Amino acid sequence: MNSSYYLGVIFVDFVIDSVEKTLAIGKKIGQLANPGDIICLIGDLGTGKTHITKGIAEGLGISDNITSPTFTIVNEYSGRLKLNHFDVYRVSDPDEIYAIGFDEYIFSESVSVIEWANYIEELIPEEHIRIIINKLPSHGENFRKITIEGYGDRYDYLKEIQI
Amino acid sequence: MRILSIDSATECASCAVIDENKLLGEISLNHKKQHSVILMPMVDNLLKSLELTIKDIDGFVVSKGPGSFTGLRIGMSMIKGLSQGTNKPFVSVSSLDALAYNMAYTGGIICPILDALRDNVYTALYSFKNDNLIKLTDYMALHIDELIEMLKQYDCSVTFLGDAANKFKGKLQKSFDKTHFAPNNLNLVKASSLGEVGLSLLNSGIKDELFSTAPIYIRKPQAVREYEKRTGLDING
Repeated sequence: MNSSYYLGVIFVDFVIDSVEKTLAIGKKIGQLANPGDIICLIGDLGTGKTHITKGIAEGLGISDNITSPTFTIVNEYSGRLKLNHFDVYRVSDPDEIYAIGFDEYIFSESVSVIEWANYIEELIPEEHIRIIINKLPSHGENFRKITIEGYGDRYDYLKEIQI
Repeated sequence: MRILSIDSATECASCAVIDENKLLGEISLNHKKQHSVILMPMVDNLLKSLELTIKDIDGFVVSKGPGSFTGLRIGMSMIKGLSQGTNKPFVSVSSLDALAYNMAYTGGIICPILDALRDNVYTALYSFKNDNLIKLTDYMALHIDELIEMLKQYDCSVTFLGDAANKFKGKLQKSFDKTHFAPNNLNLVKASSLGEVGLSLLNSGIKDELFSTAPIYIRKPQAVREYEKRTGLDING
């Protein structure tokens, strides 16, 4: 694991070799998350975005089974904090997301996780967490590089993540 | 004509029963946005306390926005359901009008502002002349700085109210010589104010269409500008 701090942005990255470790990273974030946190997940199909979200939900004390809201756009769960789980893969225009009251979801006391957040870049506030997941085929099928970036002091807690 | 009005455009959930002669009763809860949970039981309680049933209501008034996306849809669907079920008319009124009406007989400009997030507000400018509320502008979604610039062109005192008034109080006070802020008891959307405006509309035969009426949402251009500022890209290009 590496962590660094540059111009107010925290960078943490991991190379992992199993789904369990993806879940563990998510769980740690869920345990540390504060009301109003916004977590963007960026990575190709099958890299583990939903698994990270499952981990975050577990860390938030949510016992429901988390499924990807590909067709519903957003699912809401209740735990230590509320969780809004977005998947904007099917969205062709950020306006569509805006028009379902997106701002009211993300500027609330809930934690918001947004899969494929790169599709709606213009709607993401300056302060957010960005998690980028890449496959590492040269290492093996289950290997991933997970890069976590925290934009804003409120995300200082990312330094504490260890697996 | 006895009407039931509800307002769910802001954090405040409010319902009231009024007729031409008096406000019979009103319940307002200004605590967390939980309209889907509390609004219907509130109406039920209000009617029961007034020894009325829904059959005693001759018409309905609901907030049409701008305001909270989810809140508006909850209010609109609830009143449409009641209107269709009872076959009684309904009319929608902007909560901005209702807020301005809270400040009847106030001099200068009355400026209700609702939080539209990202430092934007929903607003319209009003004045009260000869017992009438005059709307000076259309409904707008503006950055708070744009609103301040606009208000500086009018050279008179401004009274602010609404859920964004507290949020921007310091900034507004610094920007103007003569500003007033509504006292807390008037600083929330009251279903009775909304009902008062709606009742006169219904009495003059103005009503909304069940299937075509929808809440008004005003676009916030701010998100676009933020994007362009951050990325240096033209969103249309």
